[in-house]
Amino acid sequence: MGLFVRRAVLTALVRSLGLAAFCLMTGCGLVIDAVQLVQPIAKDEVQRICLRQRVQVGISVEPSRPFVFPAVFTDEGVRVTGLDVELIRELAAALSQACDGRAIEPVLHLVRFRDLFVLLNEGKLDFFVSSISANVPSPARSGLAYSMPYFMDGGLGGMTRRPETDAKISAEFGEADGSDPSSAVRAFAGLVVGVQEGTTAELYARMALKASRLLLCDSLPAAFEWQDPPIDVMLGKEPVLRFVSTRVKTDWRMLTRKTGKPLRLSREQYAVAMAEESYRLRSLVNAALFRLEENGRLAEMRRRWFEEPYAYPRRAASEGLPFAAEDMPAHYDQGRCRWRR
Amino acid sequence: MRRLACAMVLAAGLSGPATADTSSNRADAEATAHLLATLLDAGRIVVDRNQALIDDPHKGEKGFTAEAFERQLAREFQARTGIDLHRLHDAAIPTTAKELLPRLVEAGKAVVEDAQIVINQRGVGYKNFIPATFGSQAAARFSHRSSVTLKQTTLRPRNPKNQPDDYEVQALRRLGAQKAPSGAVSEVADGGRTLRMVTPLYYDKDCLVCHGEPAGEEDMSGYPKEGAREGELAGAISVKIPLKSR
Repeated sequence: MGLFVRRAVLTALVRSLGLAAFCLMTGCGLVIDAVQLVQPIAKDEVQRICLRQRVQVGISVEPSRPFVFPAVFTDEGVRVTGLDVELIRELAAALSQACDGRAIEPVLHLVRFRDLFVLLNEGKLDFFVSSISANVPSPARSGLAYSMPYFMDGGLGGMTRRPETDAKISAEFGEADGSDPSSAVRAFAGLVVGVQEGTTAELYARMALKASRLLLCDSLPAAFEWQDPPIDVMLGKEPVLRFVSTRVKTDWRMLTRKTGKPLRLSREQYAVAMAEESYRLRSLVNAALFRLEENGRLAEMRRRWFEEPYAYPRRAASEGLPFAAEDMPAHYDQGRCRWRR
Repeated sequence: MRRLACAMVLAAGLSGPATADTSSNRADAEATAHLLATLLDAGRIVVDRNQALIDDPHKGEKGFTAEAFERQLAREFQARTGIDLHRLHDAAIPTTAKELLPRLVEAGKAVVEDAQIVINQRGVGYKNFIPATFGSQAAARFSHRSSVTLKQTTLRPRNPKNQPDDYEVQALRRLGAQKAPSGAVSEVADGGRTLRMVTPLYYDKDCLVCHGEPAGEEDMSGYPKEGAREGELAGAISVKIPLKSR
């Protein structure tokens, strides 16, 4: 008797489940539609941004003036500013348009340069903007895709504190330009060369400067602090070094060629970095950059950050962006330098 | 902008048009407003005293924490008022002041706490964490969480949010016309529902680094200097405090 009852209950249960499954199968489209009404499901990365009304943007905490200035305190709280920050504002505006006019708030994550790649790979960033070279191949940057460039005149340059070092390097290059690898090896031989770790300057120095003493620094300010022994030449983004040597560290001078022109060791273009599979986002960013280039806004941005006289705290107060402070505590120290192993 | 801390003249003699219903209610509100303005200014002074440390590019962790700020703030406030912030229940001050002073201390601590990531940056000198920016943030946070409005203002503010309203313009003009530094001015406004108090701040030598001469030259934060001289009226701390209805 008991066995009979249990079998009957079991049969009824199986039938009910079967019926429910059948109903769901025939109407699964309706079920999904109903779910989407409550919680819309994003089809791509742009839709995801639209749904959360926030775009997660990485930016390097190591200052690369005038692309990114050090964070400062303002009447509105802590803010960061620079050409890259202004560009992020423009991209957020383009995203807002793409999201049917819903305002998209840029949430900035100020992290170490090397961590930008990690966070992007972990899906914690939608993109990052930190004067990243789009045309320098590196296995460390696999899985990344770049937008069209927003800054064409990038590349590696160098600066030194001593005129005689500049003269020596200039003489070694002679008539050759900075692209000549054998001249580069000779010119920098025996010198202490400082670079920011993880940047294209490190890639270049590791490949080309075999006879130099290479010092890897977490940031440019860390390199300036290093005194054991002092750095002979700092290699880095030429536009940044030029800005720094003319406005911040005026006791440093750019390396020059015999012609008196700045010595360029490479040509680079800076772009916005995204995950390789962010096709729609990349198209949208490319379209925004194209529009900004065509209507002269990008040129105007480059001019106001590179050519105009200004003090960045004031710009930070009026147009800077806040950032996710919880990311900062582990990163606010500008870091240190160590010798190449 | 830097060092707008300047000297605040204690409201020894509060002046201004007295209304007919001058009462303990108004006296309590005046005393509270005065203490709040003094506490905000004490915070600005503490920031000013630590400016060299804050702007030291060679030091990372500076030790100018919210707790360190609170200790120095309590000392400065006690030196100026004789009131121990840790023993407010014993102090002969209005009940409202006993409630509001700790809130302003908390607002100031929160500002210093938030600024740690900027203050402790190594390799960066000037960080724009100065008395004026501290004061703006602390006043805004405090006002946001209470019925009292606290604000730094001046006739020519660098921050548009510090633009004076009509009452503050009048008060600032009156204070600016005085030949010698004077105390706060106060008035019952809004049909007897609000007490307004404007406590003057005067330029001292430190202020002039950014606000002095030559007028028009940019200071380190990018604003044109005002061409001010020592002892001139720099601005004021304005307090708007609701009066209890009877």
